[in-house]
Amino acid sequence: MVLTALALLACYAPALRGMFEQWRTDEDMSHGFLVPVVILWVIWRERERWRALPAQPTWLGWALLAFAASLHFAGALGVGLFAESLAFLISIAGAVLCLGGFSWLRALAFPLILALFMLPKLALVYNQATLPLQLLASRMAAGMLTVAGIGVIREGNILDVGGHKVAVVEACNGIRYLFSLGFMAAVFGYLFDSKSGMWPARLTLLAAAIPIAIVANAARVAAAGWIPAFDSGFPHELSGWVIFVLCLAMLLLTRQLFNKIYVLNRS
Amino acid sequence: MKIISSLVLVIGFSVCLKAQITLGSTVDTFGVLAGSTVTSSGPTLVLGNLGVSPGSAVTGFAAIPPGGPGLVSGAIHAADAFAGTAQTQLTTAYNAAAGAASTATVSGDLGGLTFFPGVYTSSTSLAITGTVTLNALGNPNAQFIFQMGSTLTTAVGSTVVLANGAQASNVFWQVGSSATLGTSSFFSGNILALASISLGTGASLQGRALARTGAVTLLSNTINTPAGLGGPPPPLVTPAPSSLILVTTALLGIVIYERKRIFKPFRS
Repeated sequence: MVLTALALLACYAPALRGMFEQWRTDEDMSHGFLVPVVILWVIWRERERWRALPAQPTWLGWALLAFAASLHFAGALGVGLFAESLAFLISIAGAVLCLGGFSWLRALAFPLILALFMLPKLALVYNQATLPLQLLASRMAAGMLTVAGIGVIREGNILDVGGHKVAVVEACNGIRYLFSLGFMAAVFGYLFDSKSGMWPARLTLLAAAIPIAIVANAARVAAAGWIPAFDSGFPHELSGWVIFVLCLAMLLLTRQLFNKIYVLNRS
Repeated sequence: MKIISSLVLVIGFSVCLKAQITLGSTVDTFGVLAGSTVTSSGPTLVLGNLGVSPGSAVTGFAAIPPGGPGLVSGAIHAADAFAGTAQTQLTTAYNAAAGAASTATVSGDLGGLTFFPGVYTSSTSLAITGTVTLNALGNPNAQFIFQMGSTLTTAVGSTVVLANGAQASNVFWQVGSSATLGTSSFFSGNILALASISLGTGASLQGRALARTGAVTLLSNTINTPAGLGGPPPPLVTPAPSSLILVTTALLGIVIYERKRIFKPFRS
């Protein structure tokens, strides 16, 4: 098992280096450093249960490894870092199948899902989503200010609040909240709803993270428009941080609410 | 078709505009300027000056007898020297916009397309249905010039969106004949029309309606005159804290709150 892990690390070293570089340079993706830590914690926590699982290797693992290798090759030829990194995760799944079969893979499903959060951004999707998300944040922030009785003129992604102009730039599109909150929703789901049969709660948490992140980002932009001090520097950072903490609280509240309804319906 | 058009636009951007069009310090102050008449019906609001020259007729505004519901935040210049100077500057700007070297050819309906800074030319008319996005790629001084041989027509509810630092003051629509904005549409940029300009009921213009020879007709519109070229760029919203800080905060919270469960091996 250790040899397999070392072999995978050696084979995919360029992809891992690329991922590391993106975590280091892209603040949307810097949570990537924490993902392996959380995965290792999950593996450590579940070690006794996994040790008891019988090893039933399957040849399908080799097929998955071959597919991952071809994807890695395509990535190296120019398809991109995302393909290479995805190939790394697929090859882990393949290796697990080769060593222990489907029961092992099922047990490792959650860490593999968590690992998706450390994949680099898929440029094709990111580039298509960025501008609509910027405009959505601008529209929602303008709406929030209007509802609050604050006059605002919106020009595309620029808000003019009584002469104080704020621009919803690419880095304000909400992707950062979306990734961070999505990852935390997965962790919350694992920690609080880990009993079998609670997958609807986990899915609800993940789904709830999307609208919460989008609304929270718009609220952050609205705050920056409303109070000029919040549009830069430490107050801006602080407001962004406080709003994220509120997002976490909303996520937990959603979970509580869902579980109450779900348990009531089941009983 | 849309993909091909987008490719053309990207190629157009790659040989991006070098010349900068300016309106002139007098015409810059006008939200509405006509050659013959300015007619308004309903509660029109013009933020900026309103003028007409060489014609003199202005109707539908509170400041002009017999009065009307229309309001102008600046002054009304009817056939005076100031309006005359503005018309002269408009002619200069119109010719400069018409003479700017084209970077791409466009035709028909621009709806659904995204444009990057450049000069886009149509030998005939242009229309806008839905949304057109002008993406300045973070450069607030980037200019967009649309040259058309005849009319500009926008559909009901259509929108011209300014994105990534694009400024209404840096968008020029050089119209070979007349421009018509649809009911409840939202339009951005300076309309430099050879003949007339008509705004449909409730249409909003973030820019200027400048007609050289004909009339400007308004129907309960809002015209917000932007600052001129070279105005201060808007401050940028600094991004949210890095995802490392956000996730670290959340994980620390969990560790503190759930420390007993976290360090306890999982039991199913």
